[in-house]
Amino acid sequence: MAEQYDVTIIGAGPGGYVAAIRAAQLGLRACVVEKDEPGGVCLNWGCIPSKSLIHQAEQFESLKEMEAVGVQVDRESLDYAKVQTRSRQAVKALTGGVSGLLKKNKVDLIKGTATIAARGVVKIDGSKEIKSKNIIIATGSKSMTVPGFECDEKQVLSSDGILAMTELPSSLIILGAGAIGCEFAFVMNAFGVKVTLVEMVEHILPTEDFEVAKVLDQSFKKHGIEVLAGYLAKSLKKAADGVTVVVESEKTGERELKADKALVVFGRIPITDGIGLDKVGVETDKRGYIPVGDYCETNVKGIFAIGDVTATPALAHVASKEGEIAVEHIAGHRPATRNVDPDLVPSAIYCEPQVAGVGLREDQAKSDGVKYKKSVFPYRGAGKTVAVGKTDGLVKVLTDPDTGELLGAHIVGHNATELIHELLLAKSSELLPEDIADMIHAHPTISEALMETLRGVDGKPIHM
Amino acid sequence: MAKDYVMPKLAMAMNEGTIAKWVVEDGAHISQGEILMVVETEKVTYDLESPETGHFHIIVGEGETVPVETVIGQFAQDEAELAKLQGESDTGAEPPSVETAEAAATPMPQVDAGAAIPEGRIKASPLARKMAHDRGIDLALVPGTGPGGRVVKRDVLKAEETGVAKQAATAFSGHAAPGVMVEKGRIPIKGARATIGKRMVDNLSTMAQVSHMSEIDITKLMAVRRGYLAKEKELGTRVSLNAFFIKALEVAVRHVPIANASIVGDEIIIWENVNVGFAVAMPGPTEWDSSLIVPVIKNVEQKGLLQIDREMRDLVARARGSELAPEDLSDATITVSSTAGFAPGWAISTPIVNAPQTIIVQPGTALERPVVVDGEIVIRTVLPFSLTFDHRIMDGEPLGRFYTRLHQCIEDPSMMLL
Repeated sequence: MAEQYDVTIIGAGPGGYVAAIRAAQLGLRACVVEKDEPGGVCLNWGCIPSKSLIHQAEQFESLKEMEAVGVQVDRESLDYAKVQTRSRQAVKALTGGVSGLLKKNKVDLIKGTATIAARGVVKIDGSKEIKSKNIIIATGSKSMTVPGFECDEKQVLSSDGILAMTELPSSLIILGAGAIGCEFAFVMNAFGVKVTLVEMVEHILPTEDFEVAKVLDQSFKKHGIEVLAGYLAKSLKKAADGVTVVVESEKTGERELKADKALVVFGRIPITDGIGLDKVGVETDKRGYIPVGDYCETNVKGIFAIGDVTATPALAHVASKEGEIAVEHIAGHRPATRNVDPDLVPSAIYCEPQVAGVGLREDQAKSDGVKYKKSVFPYRGAGKTVAVGKTDGLVKVLTDPDTGELLGAHIVGHNATELIHELLLAKSSELLPEDIADMIHAHPTISEALMETLRGVDGKPIHM
Repeated sequence: MAKDYVMPKLAMAMNEGTIAKWVVEDGAHISQGEILMVVETEKVTYDLESPETGHFHIIVGEGETVPVETVIGQFAQDEAELAKLQGESDTGAEPPSVETAEAAATPMPQVDAGAAIPEGRIKASPLARKMAHDRGIDLALVPGTGPGGRVVKRDVLKAEETGVAKQAATAFSGHAAPGVMVEKGRIPIKGARATIGKRMVDNLSTMAQVSHMSEIDITKLMAVRRGYLAKEKELGTRVSLNAFFIKALEVAVRHVPIANASIVGDEIIIWENVNVGFAVAMPGPTEWDSSLIVPVIKNVEQKGLLQIDREMRDLVARARGSELAPEDLSDATITVSSTAGFAPGWAISTPIVNAPQTIIVQPGTALERPVVVDGEIVIRTVLPFSLTFDHRIMDGEPLGRFYTRLHQCIEDPSMMLL
């Protein structure tokens, strides 16, 4: 007899495994099917290994500061293979952790490839059948491939390839300056690779606030990265001695770039093929995303979709929250929200300086005709940043000129990804600028820059 | 031993009372005879004295309406006992406070515009507070849908859209834009206002009311009254026209007793005593603060004009001073409601009978008019006179006899001697 579940989750990424654990906590009988290691791209080939690399890159770069005070450092002795090993160790520790959590919560982790055979029926590897009242599709996304820029993971790398790479190239062309492209630009540059970063849009980090992205752009340039924003990659040629990429800008015309390797990070596309969506009539839109309604339910009752397969921001924390919303609904609870509110989703980019943001961006406000008031405070104005040598950065908030509502908050600078949460909490709790401006912030901290920015909404920062 | 203090039953008809105000603070010491609280009944608001001496512990808060005999407070002999009482009600006896009510609530309260709004501190985000303030929206009237029932921005926007919860116009400044409705004031429909409204609608919807209008030549009555006024010192009062009307009603009722009857259950009770209610306007600082009260002169059949007049003046004075007791307002069998003084000129109306009575009469303002007397046009003083009766209780014929006698008595006071 087939196994009976209340909910079967396809994919054990940050959406799927969180949904499974939450389901079990709510008393549902849950299983999660994963063909690879639990943790998904985030844990295995994304957020976590890259954060390990970034941390080690930061440490390596900070050696320069030691040299400045007379410490003799042998930077040549860097063994990048060991850097990679540490990164994989972190991944291993965490995948083990996820497996342990699933087990502890009595979630069945089924290894295999799942396909939906019918409503309420999931097949594992085409044979074993599972009966399940509800199905959650959490199959995630993969790197977008563009004809002419196919990855061989030797000379032309995807994010997977560069995370597996054990030897540093001498030079690297990165195509795509989104979060992933910028993070690898920072890492590789810090380890001494000559990096050229190419972005089609007029500024790097196209989904972040322009003013904030500009600070990162300047920091990159200061640290020797060549940034080509507004350049379209036209072709990529491989040869024995490296790759040649032709890029074109409307202003300056074509340019030919040469490097050891290229990293192609154009973006990510949802994985919806081969899951059996057609068998049950789950729709996908023209970009391949699965449209969902309240509680992440698809057009087919009892089938839900969360995370990167939907059109919401492709972020692990969005997937996790969507998973919780779906299973809480399935369990008959009333989730705090029916859907993730995109205005309350923080973004985080982990190069140095870091970038983090939430809510309205200034370019959005302009194009949508939203009235706003802007307050910007430079990192340099907070004494702590000078003391620790992290003066590159700024805090920017956009508020409603009538009500004072915090519409958007953007930080670029040291620790931005942690600092953003004070502003996120303020926004989600509907605090007003004066609530933060009047709150005592410890001195000396970078958080003081946030306080000053909010003071600036009414034009009265102290240190500017 | 602590002593309970209950909502007193102040009149036979009183079923519940509203604690308009506690004059003492919780735990304060009070002596017997000191004012303890202000109670609002359907009819009247008045002060209640403390029956005991001791520390008073409040159990039911201001604004609450409770049935009579409900324990609303306790007297403690000393502070130790008081502390004990206060401790007890914290853990149980008291109705749930805002905090415990929240704890018991489901994590996400239903979005229900009709939901009860908890008393006390209003939970609202700072942004919601500011927006509500700027838009003149009363947060207390906005149901919250945020975490823990907090009022958030979307709730304020919804309240603004649906138009509920606008604060009084005093919250606005400046001029209203064309097409924008700006409130002048806001009157809670409770207490006397609610009672008047409910009674009026009930009266109109349950009775078969027929109105009758006419004119009465009161030239003779005025002459008699002038005679009385000339003897004001002797009589000790300026006998009012209303006193004549009240007496005339009683004479007419004696002549046609069915006019002094009530429907009780499936019977009509004809009353021996003639208790005449008379409407007294209670003007407030603004017209929307004004009210109406109907004190009753009991057993008019046993009273002469002078006594009627004296009692009437006493009741009016006490009504205006909010000093009427429930018994001053109960058991009317027939009512007179004069519009003299606020309906200038010739006017008739359709007064509403006050259940369970049968008749209400409404004299207007007396004025000089040309009248044909013995084939000649002469100037006479004429009183417009309206009357409504309940056709369930009496028919046209007895009403005709009643009205004829009433008319005669008002036209010629000597008829009252018969």
